[in-house]
Amino acid sequence: MPGWQDFQPFIVSGLALGGVYALSGVGMVVLYQATGVVYLAFGAVGAMGALIAWSLTDAGAPGWAGWLACVAFGAVVTLAYGMVFGPALAKRDPLVKATATLGLTLVLFGLMDLLWTTSGGQARSITLPTDGSGFGIGQVQVDWTQVISLAVGIAIAVATGLFLRLTKLGTAMRAMANDREITATLGVPVRRVEAAAWLGCGVLAGVAGILLADLVALDATTLTFLVISSLAAALIARLRSITLTFLAAIVVGLVHDLLTPVQSLTNYRDMTPFVLAAVALLVLSRHRAIARSREEA
Amino acid sequence: MRTREHASGARLAIALAAAIAVVAAAGCGSTSSNTSKGQGGSTPSATTVDTSQCGTKPGVKATGTPIALGGIVTDQPGTSFTDIANMANAYFTCVNANGGINGHPIKYYIETEQTNPAQIAGEATQLVQADHVVGIVGNTSIIECSVDHSYWQKLGFYIIDSGIAPECWSTPNSSAVNMGPRYSSDGAVQYALSQHASKIVFDQSNVPGTGYIAAGPAALAAAAHVPIVQLTENVPISDADSVAIKEVDDAGPDGAVVLNFTPPEALVILQAAQKLGIEDRVKLWGCSTPCDTDFLAKSLGPKWNSKLFVNAELTPADGTNTTTMNLYRAIFAQYGKAVSGGIGSFSQFGFAEAEVAVHALETINGAYTVQSVNAAFKAVQDFNTGMLCQLWTYGSYPMHIPNNEDYTVTPDNGKMVTARGCTQISSVDPQIAAYRKVAGVAKAAP
Amino acid sequence: MAGGTGLLARARPRLAQRLALRRPLRGPQRRHRGAAAAQAAVTAALLLFTLLALPELLSLYYIDAMTQVAVYSVVALGLGVLVGRVGLVSLGQVAVLAIGAWVAARLLFATAQPYPLILLEAGLITMAAGTVIGLPALRLRGLYLALITLMLAGAITVVLATTNFPNGGHGFLGYNGGSVHIPAIRRPGIAGSDPAYFRYAVVVAALMFLLAGAHLRTRPGRAWAAIRRSEPAALAAGINTTFYKLWALALASFITGVAGGVLAGAVQYLYSIDFPTYYSITLLAVVLMGGAYSLWGAVVAGLLYQLLPALLHNWGVSADWLTIVFGVGVLQVLTTAPAGLAEQVPRDLRRLARLARRLGRGKEAGEVTAR
Repeated sequence: MPGWQDFQPFIVSGLALGGVYALSGVGMVVLYQATGVVYLAFGAVGAMGALIAWSLTDAGAPGWAGWLACVAFGAVVTLAYGMVFGPALAKRDPLVKATATLGLTLVLFGLMDLLWTTSGGQARSITLPTDGSGFGIGQVQVDWTQVISLAVGIAIAVATGLFLRLTKLGTAMRAMANDREITATLGVPVRRVEAAAWLGCGVLAGVAGILLADLVALDATTLTFLVISSLAAALIARLRSITLTFLAAIVVGLVHDLLTPVQSLTNYRDMTPFVLAAVALLVLSRHRAIARSREEA
Repeated sequence: MRTREHASGARLAIALAAAIAVVAAAGCGSTSSNTSKGQGGSTPSATTVDTSQCGTKPGVKATGTPIALGGIVTDQPGTSFTDIANMANAYFTCVNANGGINGHPIKYYIETEQTNPAQIAGEATQLVQADHVVGIVGNTSIIECSVDHSYWQKLGFYIIDSGIAPECWSTPNSSAVNMGPRYSSDGAVQYALSQHASKIVFDQSNVPGTGYIAAGPAALAAAAHVPIVQLTENVPISDADSVAIKEVDDAGPDGAVVLNFTPPEALVILQAAQKLGIEDRVKLWGCSTPCDTDFLAKSLGPKWNSKLFVNAELTPADGTNTTTMNLYRAIFAQYGKAVSGGIGSFSQFGFAEAEVAVHALETINGAYTVQSVNAAFKAVQDFNTGMLCQLWTYGSYPMHIPNNEDYTVTPDNGKMVTARGCTQISSVDPQIAAYRKVAGVAKAAP
Repeated sequence: MAGGTGLLARARPRLAQRLALRRPLRGPQRRHRGAAAAQAAVTAALLLFTLLALPELLSLYYIDAMTQVAVYSVVALGLGVLVGRVGLVSLGQVAVLAIGAWVAARLLFATAQPYPLILLEAGLITMAAGTVIGLPALRLRGLYLALITLMLAGAITVVLATTNFPNGGHGFLGYNGGSVHIPAIRRPGIAGSDPAYFRYAVVVAALMFLLAGAHLRTRPGRAWAAIRRSEPAALAAGINTTFYKLWALALASFITGVAGGVLAGAVQYLYSIDFPTYYSITLLAVVLMGGAYSLWGAVVAGLLYQLLPALLHNWGVSADWLTIVFGVGVLQVLTTAPAGLAEQVPRDLRRLARLARRLGRGKEAGEVTAR
């Protein structure tokens, strides 16, 4: 068993990884809150946005133009998807809605591999100005991008939480996710509110895409399917609480990385999000907390 | 329902906007790959050589009955070896435009696979039964050798490939121009040992055959009485920070970390170390052949100059002004549109394999059958590819590791430059010893 | 959605209806006896054609692809029973398939038992594993149940990636990473060649379809239908809902485990990279596309999942385009054909036939008046 000294650096990297999970976890919860859709394409949209940003900067465009393009791409694609398929699937089961977003995921995934092939050993990366500069806490090195990912995670969680709770639009979103038809009869402009929700989630997907491309990897496969492990944090929070999603993401990241130096468990550390989510769901269901889930309300 | 009708116009507009965005994205994608191509092959002009030198009758198009050859390459998101087959195809196209093989053009069938054994077996039968290929050249697949080697053996095919799976080196019917993950990792570890690393941390992706690959570095470290830590990582890596920290912690200040990953994964780990500022906490970093790309050198930056040492199996593409390298660049420029990765080790492998195959085909008098073609492949002896350290031999051996001497390169401001010239992989690796016992040590290329 | 079910859905918006589950297919007792006999005859003829003629007509490439279709039809059947009959949605069936393949491969390397026995054992062990893992999850409903199965599948994938599939090594795991020659997984003595193994796989698949069909026509099928219609009502009617849900899970795990055994012999080399977590989601997508509510839907799903890629590949279409096609297909089917292609296509054909008949009749009528 490694000593305390060996675990220290992994606390920092674990927090950063938690930030990574939080970024996509929070985005998915926001959209689920607002539209009732588990947006599995979250990662793919961000990945494609990041690849577009890479192409632009590679062709000589300034960094900020690339980032802007990434966010714009996320917003446009997500909004378009929401406007076309949102109404068509409005009355279907949440699971069908989630599966449909997999359709978008596959389309984007295929496009990415066509347009940004990895043939010939091509590897890409996005670096942010904050990379490589940082500070030390004792023996442990911390770099600013790690700090930023955590800070952005917190900022997004707080901002969207406040938005959903305090603004009129946010309240309308939450009401609509609960019951679209009743909300419509109450005079809420359903389409506009939904459009706002999709647009917001798209922007989040774009921002997350750029950050994750730097923090994790600028790789279509990695970023696209990172949502499956990020979903764990959202699930622990029962897809409802943004604060809880954020905290769960941090716990998942910490546990994951603290297992890294443990020789016997290190290869199983990728199970962390899944196991924690499964345990949390089962324990919660024992308390009947989610027995009356959305589709039965 | 009124809302729905109302919104249909807006919906259309948004769909259109999305379509435009997608098209714009497509534009970005293609332009960027063009620019990266240019950066790879910017060095010496190919004026001294034109492509007509690839055939026996310059400028005469081959019109005889085609000679069908086939190849199977992995092509899936994240791992794509299509450049190898596409470059081989470019070489064959060049040959066909300049006389062919005694007037016969080569028809090259490329099958791509997604690491699905059933699919790979199906493609092998497809090549033989439907396409009637008489030889297999350019195979590059994560598992093809494991799945198909007994099939090729049964039919009497002698494959010229770039190998990955253990069976590519340990069976009588496969001979590779590359060294593959094990011997290339050997080379990287050997270099680290030569620089007096006090400990080796060998980390590789958790894909089929890790134990087989790990055995080589383990033998080298044991012979040098240097402790070695063996690690594997599930891919794709989503926690590169902790992977980098673990490696550096395990290696210690006088140790070396040696990686065996695909370029994107290796890049992720190296960049994580760089971002954390821990790349200097070990004596040096090593990497097997996949890291030998300019993409990697460009992405890494100057901190890795003479810090990262990559085992390289081929003549470095940058700045080498030999006839073969110029021919390679000329063929790439004229026929290599499908080679998306540009100048680099992947397309060089494809070029070398096609070169060997064409050389063998030219020795055949009479019909081009499975028997005659594969006999010719097998008979290739001391052939100078112009790309490898050694002369290349197939031969009737129970196993083939014809490429077992190589370079070491290091990044230098966006390029890979030679850090050490041709060096033999040590016979301490029992597989290398076994091969040298049956085949001897090949002559160095002139 | 047909008018009747649509109305019902609005009146009582439960999971089953929202998934556009149709009411249980009218049983044979309600259908014309003649029609049932005709359908049985068509099925038998198709099966005979598949067994006898198909291997002679197809190249080895397509025979291999069709063997995969047989395997994945059974996997789709298991998922179809869960989704379409009981209303339990699993996003982890490919992981269950991997367990079945793992068990079969381990037994095939370790013992010289006859193949049918191995398949049975693979089915039973997978059934035990699937039931034990799934038991606690059954307390959850709908989306949460689906997502927890996805989490469990993710965990199983990581375990498999670390332990690897047996490749003739020793010990419990049977994996030898240092192997220089990986031995092939053996096939049954009577089905060594690819065409023979194809026939073998089709026979096993047919048996699994019979097994599932038998369940649907008897007490469990009726209980499942009641549970799907309304769990409280089923409880009130004295149906032990937990028991029958577990039964469905056990049945689905069993047939998926057997499919895993057939897969092991079909591919002969197993790699954990061939069972990524997201394949389970794609599988659900094709099952929904094929139609989760009829047995034919499972066959359609198998064809979509395994034959379509082989076809496109053979036409030289990049695998990326296939991914895109699947994506578009998922969106198209989910938005316009909730009951899946297995119901949509025959309905369209029927409509076409009706139209043709009407046109024909009109023509006849015209002729009569002209005379």
